[in-house]
Amino acid sequence: MVGYVGGDPYQSPSFGKSLSLRVDGGVNALSINPSGRDVVLASKQGLHIIDLDDPFSPPRWLRHVTPWQVADVQWSPHPAKPYWVVSTSNQKAIIWNLAKPSSNAIEHVLHKHFRAITDINFSPQHPDILATCSIDTYVHAWDLRSPQRPFYTTSGWLSGASQVKWSFNDQNVLASAHGNDVCIWDLRKGSTPLGKLVGHGSSVNSVDFNRFKRTELMTGSNDGSVKFWDYSKSCNEPIKTIRTDFPIWRGRYLPFGEGCCLMPSVGGFNSVYVASLAKRDGVEEVNDSKLQPIYAFKGHDDRVTDFVWRSRSSCGSDGCDREFQLVTWSKDCDLRLWPVPETVYEKINFNRHQQLDESIPDYEYTTYNREPEVAKPQLGSHSKRIKENFVSTSGLKSKKDVNHISWLSGVRMNYNSSPESIFKERTLQNLGEEVSSLGHKFPKVVFEKISVSTGELIITLNGPWSDNNPDEYVFLRIDVKVPPEYPSKGYPPVFSIEDNGNLSSERREYINKQLKEISDTCTASGLYCLEPCLRLLLGEKVNLEELGQNDEPLLNFEIADQLAMENLSSVPSSEDPTEYLSDSSTSESEEKEDDKVLNMGVDFDGQISRDLAFDSTPVPTECGAIWSPNGTLLCFFASEGKQDKKQQAMLRLASRDTAKHQNGYHRKGSRKNMILTENNATDSNKNLRPKRYVETIPSAANPLGKSNHVTSEEESNSDEYSDSFEDDWSDILVNDIGVRTKLPALRGRVSKTFESVNSESGKTTESKKMKNVVITKDFSHLIPDRKDLALEFRFTDAPQGELARHNALVAEKYGLEEKSHCWQILSDLLMTNEETDPYNLIWDNHPMGIKWYIKEVLSYFEKRNDVQMLAMLGAVAANTATSVLSTTNAEKLDSNHANKKMESTINFNPNENANSWRTDMLSHLSSSNGVAPSFFESNRHRPSPDEISIKSEDYFSLKHYNNTAAIAPTVSPPISNTAVSATIAHNQQNASKLPNVTIELIDDDVLTAIRQPVRSLLDPNDAVKLRFYSYQYAKLLYIWGLPMQRAELLKISFESIHKNTSDFDSHTSNDNQDLFGEIRTSWMENKYREPNFHSCNYCGLKVTRNIFLCESCEHVMHASCARDWWAQSEQCASGCGCHCTDLLKMS
Amino acid sequence: MPTIANAHNDLIHDAVLDYYGRRLATCSSDKTIKIFEVEGETHKLVETLSGHEGPVWRVAWAHPKFGTILASCSYDGKVLIWKEENGSWDQIAVHAVHSASVNSVQWAPHEYGALLLAASSDGKVSVVEFKENGTTSPVVIDAHAIGVNAASWAPATVQGDGNSQQLRRFVTGGADNLVKIWKFNNDSQTYVLEDTLEGHSDWVRDVAWSPSILLRSYIATVSQDRTCIIWSQENNQGPWKKTLLQNERFPDVLWRASWSLSGNILALSGGDNKVTLWKEDLEGKWEPAGEVQQ
Repeated sequence: MVGYVGGDPYQSPSFGKSLSLRVDGGVNALSINPSGRDVVLASKQGLHIIDLDDPFSPPRWLRHVTPWQVADVQWSPHPAKPYWVVSTSNQKAIIWNLAKPSSNAIEHVLHKHFRAITDINFSPQHPDILATCSIDTYVHAWDLRSPQRPFYTTSGWLSGASQVKWSFNDQNVLASAHGNDVCIWDLRKGSTPLGKLVGHGSSVNSVDFNRFKRTELMTGSNDGSVKFWDYSKSCNEPIKTIRTDFPIWRGRYLPFGEGCCLMPSVGGFNSVYVASLAKRDGVEEVNDSKLQPIYAFKGHDDRVTDFVWRSRSSCGSDGCDREFQLVTWSKDCDLRLWPVPETVYEKINFNRHQQLDESIPDYEYTTYNREPEVAKPQLGSHSKRIKENFVSTSGLKSKKDVNHISWLSGVRMNYNSSPESIFKERTLQNLGEEVSSLGHKFPKVVFEKISVSTGELIITLNGPWSDNNPDEYVFLRIDVKVPPEYPSKGYPPVFSIEDNGNLSSERREYINKQLKEISDTCTASGLYCLEPCLRLLLGEKVNLEELGQNDEPLLNFEIADQLAMENLSSVPSSEDPTEYLSDSSTSESEEKEDDKVLNMGVDFDGQISRDLAFDSTPVPTECGAIWSPNGTLLCFFASEGKQDKKQQAMLRLASRDTAKHQNGYHRKGSRKNMILTENNATDSNKNLRPKRYVETIPSAANPLGKSNHVTSEEESNSDEYSDSFEDDWSDILVNDIGVRTKLPALRGRVSKTFESVNSESGKTTESKKMKNVVITKDFSHLIPDRKDLALEFRFTDAPQGELARHNALVAEKYGLEEKSHCWQILSDLLMTNEETDPYNLIWDNHPMGIKWYIKEVLSYFEKRNDVQMLAMLGAVAANTATSVLSTTNAEKLDSNHANKKMESTINFNPNENANSWRTDMLSHLSSSNGVAPSFFESNRHRPSPDEISIKSEDYFSLKHYNNTAAIAPTVSPPISNTAVSATIAHNQQNASKLPNVTIELIDDDVLTAIRQPVRSLLDPNDAVKLRFYSYQYAKLLYIWGLPMQRAELLKISFESIHKNTSDFDSHTSNDNQDLFGEIRTSWMENKYREPNFHSCNYCGLKVTRNIFLCESCEHVMHASCARDWWAQSEQCASGCGCHCTDLLKMS
Repeated sequence: MPTIANAHNDLIHDAVLDYYGRRLATCSSDKTIKIFEVEGETHKLVETLSGHEGPVWRVAWAHPKFGTILASCSYDGKVLIWKEENGSWDQIAVHAVHSASVNSVQWAPHEYGALLLAASSDGKVSVVEFKENGTTSPVVIDAHAIGVNAASWAPATVQGDGNSQQLRRFVTGGADNLVKIWKFNNDSQTYVLEDTLEGHSDWVRDVAWSPSILLRSYIATVSQDRTCIIWSQENNQGPWKKTLLQNERFPDVLWRASWSLSGNILALSGGDNKVTLWKEDLEGKWEPAGEVQQ
């Protein structure tokens, strides 16, 4: 919503005017943005930010629901931090940053008081300094750059503090009220007060420093007096006392001139009084006087809780031409803006055009009423908020928490600036009020957009503007532009109707002409014209003659409120569906008809009265089948189906030729079942079955039949059959009972019925009740995944050959030949492999070897969609690898072979370096295979070649040298017949240092196999897939209630496949948490609970144990860092200036 | 095989067993939802939930890791979320962003979180996430002009190309006879149209994305035109292949499609009050696998 765009206080529509805003919700405190644009209201619900320049837009709400009343709220008075607002929440003070999104606007929480905070005051000198006081008697001064703890603390000891204020001129001085006394403190003098002002007879509610006179301040008390002090002169004798007949809640100096503003806590006609403090010539100064107010702001119905001044000045920072406006908040829930009459300025010696001694800071004139734009919601930030359950709030957006129309009806503004009159008379004052009254009067008109300040409205409604059919309603979207001068003469609102296929251009012109006529007529006599325009759009006749004379105020808040109770308000956009449900069209008279129709035909209690012509809800399903996770099929049927069919058939015999009109409608009491069609009907007739739900609602179907072309294509024939169809229907209705009683009761294939309805009884009354049935059918035999197999299949704790054999037997037991054979073959293949000869590894890769077999089997079961087999095969195949590694026996043998093979091919020419190199190799090999070097000595079948070869890894790295090395191919005694060997005379640049090496490259399956000492039966691509299959299967196991199997499966298959496919490590490990954790624990970060010593102030690392914590400044270091630091320095490492060690010395 | 007769006073529109098959939820035109406890052959009505102002079309159980939670959608345009705690059922949330009947509701694969997909006759689908801190952030998409009749999530997958991004997709079927595939776009944090499938000649009544993650993705769509189309896509990318389940038309309109847990069997139901089961043979042809009649 584009709001007010002025950005200049002199364009403000509310300055210098009277304004009243109703804000419900128990607001207790008020503060104003120093720029004067926004006010903040604080309640137990949080903060409400209201833009005074656009009072018609609803407030921004920063939620902070607490059981404690907010004692005080203050907007930072500094242009450096225009977005800071501080509010109290029991013993805590909360610093809000309005530039952040409302859900995450809390910047700091100040928590050192033990009991409720009563007052907060920002330092007028320094943007980061603020003071708080509490009924725990303490007064703390905080520096928001280190908000963990106050930098200054003092206490009145005897009684709780009610107020705290900084001096305007002396940045070290503050005053706090404790009981009947007020203490003046100086930050530099610790907790010894500069002075204690004694003199009030009852508790002091208010303290305020004089802006201009450094040492003067005023106090207001329950004893009904206001005292003015100069603490530099005397702390016991006030320089002046004003007595009133009411207890003083707030008494403050005016921000302009010489005067003060007093506010009673009880009585005093709920007014705010202005008294002059100016010395007048010829009048003797009296030290003790009665209150002689020069002006009273009167009008609230209940006591005023707080007031602030809103100011503006036209010529920049030197302060000439300053104007003020009083803003008050009262218990009567009204926020009011009061213009200050010129006479007041005179009486307090305020010259508006006088230059100020000090310049006013230049405040940016912006509003924080709008939610700041955030690119992406920060997920982590929510954790700071109170943890809530899974779902607690509805899907409504928070900005619609305040109903716009109700908000508008609480806004009243007066242009003629007469404060007394406007709050009493209830006449339309502006567009906002007009819109709000319209919103209540025409609940079916939807205001898509309301922007009162810019005069833009977008209205949608349905009006009877169809060319073809006067009963048909056409959806209209109207953009209304209202000039700011409206409704004065010559400034009518401009209506533009959006292009719409259903509205002919002639019609549109006609409407436009009519609207213009009405609006011109009305505005000519200064009347508001939206209501008659809306009436016209809704199809009512509007009499222009009457309009001109119509001087009756449109506003009727009593009715409006009532309507609001029924939740018929028309909030824009799609937030609340009830509006849509009720926006069906029409003015009141037709609406009644609609309701009648609906109430007659549908048992919806009339609550749902949507525009049926546009309702595309499909006909409901009457029967369906849903697979449940455990393999059973859940079916539900409308059990009268059969009956009705027979019934229909009989009807058909009895009545006219209705064979083509199988769309019987059946209504009896509250039921509205659609009678099912005959199976043998022709195709063309099938399409006549209604699609839309509304068409099956009998009485609604009729009038709608004519407008059906809006949504359906083949409705052309619907008209022609509708007549006879109605006949059929009445026939059915007439014959229904008679036929039904003659029919035998339903007897399905229902195996067991648990209700008392028994078909055998044949009682028609009971069979009539039989409306629906839910049955479960076990179709698990169709599904390859079986729980019984899952229980018996094994995939761990045995050599893989045995596992496969076991599984083959299991499958055989259940008569699953295919699976059994598959396992058996796998078993055979694995068994032969179990002989511990590395040459067998070669066969794994053979075109007809086990790898090929597994690949084929997998792709077969993929086609069969058999997750169970896939996962089990995957697990066993992958398990091969793990079992080889984990069984000590297998490991030894396997690695033996591998090492033997490698070692056997390594040999060196006698050379002095040979030994060292050899040991390198040995250590390398041993470390990589985890086998002691002793194996090298005790190998069994060693082919003793002369050549030198190098273990696979090095073998690869040496390949790089092939280009530079002289290659001398020789035919070597082959290890295997197929091996192609090459001997390389390896001459490196630094040949002198290295032994003369002959390298033979053996392109050998064995070596290839050895290169992967872990046997992998799986293709890496398959492994990835299998990992996912086993995850899927794990889900099944979970559903079947087999958590042990699930855990085993996830562990084994995942680990091993993971090993096999190191290429895929990167993403498998990332996913595994997400995919495999059924339940994840997430830690909620709670910033405020954690102590503030995260990291060492010396080395910057996180501190864990052995810490040094200064009790004074709470800075922390590692114990070791502290030792280093204190050896060379006396001050804290954080630079806070604390001499932490001094404290230690004392103790 | 328990049979429950006359549970509701009006037509039943959906019946769903929970994850463990122990609780049955049914919903009806009588505006109520009933929860049964099913134990072997016996069943017991434990709760009747009322709160909807119109017929309740569908119900959906959330994954048990979120608690015992049920979502229901209704003609009144609302989705209500119900939760059982200590034996008592409470309505814990309202998802009310739709302005017309909400025709289908489904929870996303649990890996994505408590994410709910709702399809409405107002032409929109909404995806709403119920976050742990109680906030929601509904994403509302204009999907099908006249109305969306059904929507279904794709199973949780990992893309084959090593990208750790989960491919989060769903399918919608609408009154414009179209089937649309939507994909989550991480950058815009919303769902974007990935593909539009044309094949039906009348309203698409139900869409069901097969939970099978083997080989290829399958989507079954059933329509008022009395056909069922199986759409398949290889490796989660590329074009969708259209296969008619059977060449001749079904005897009546089709209303509902449902895949078995691993996507082996497809169950179809329609206006003839009959349920047919289908499975794919090794050649990729679909053959009947059974029939249930009431």
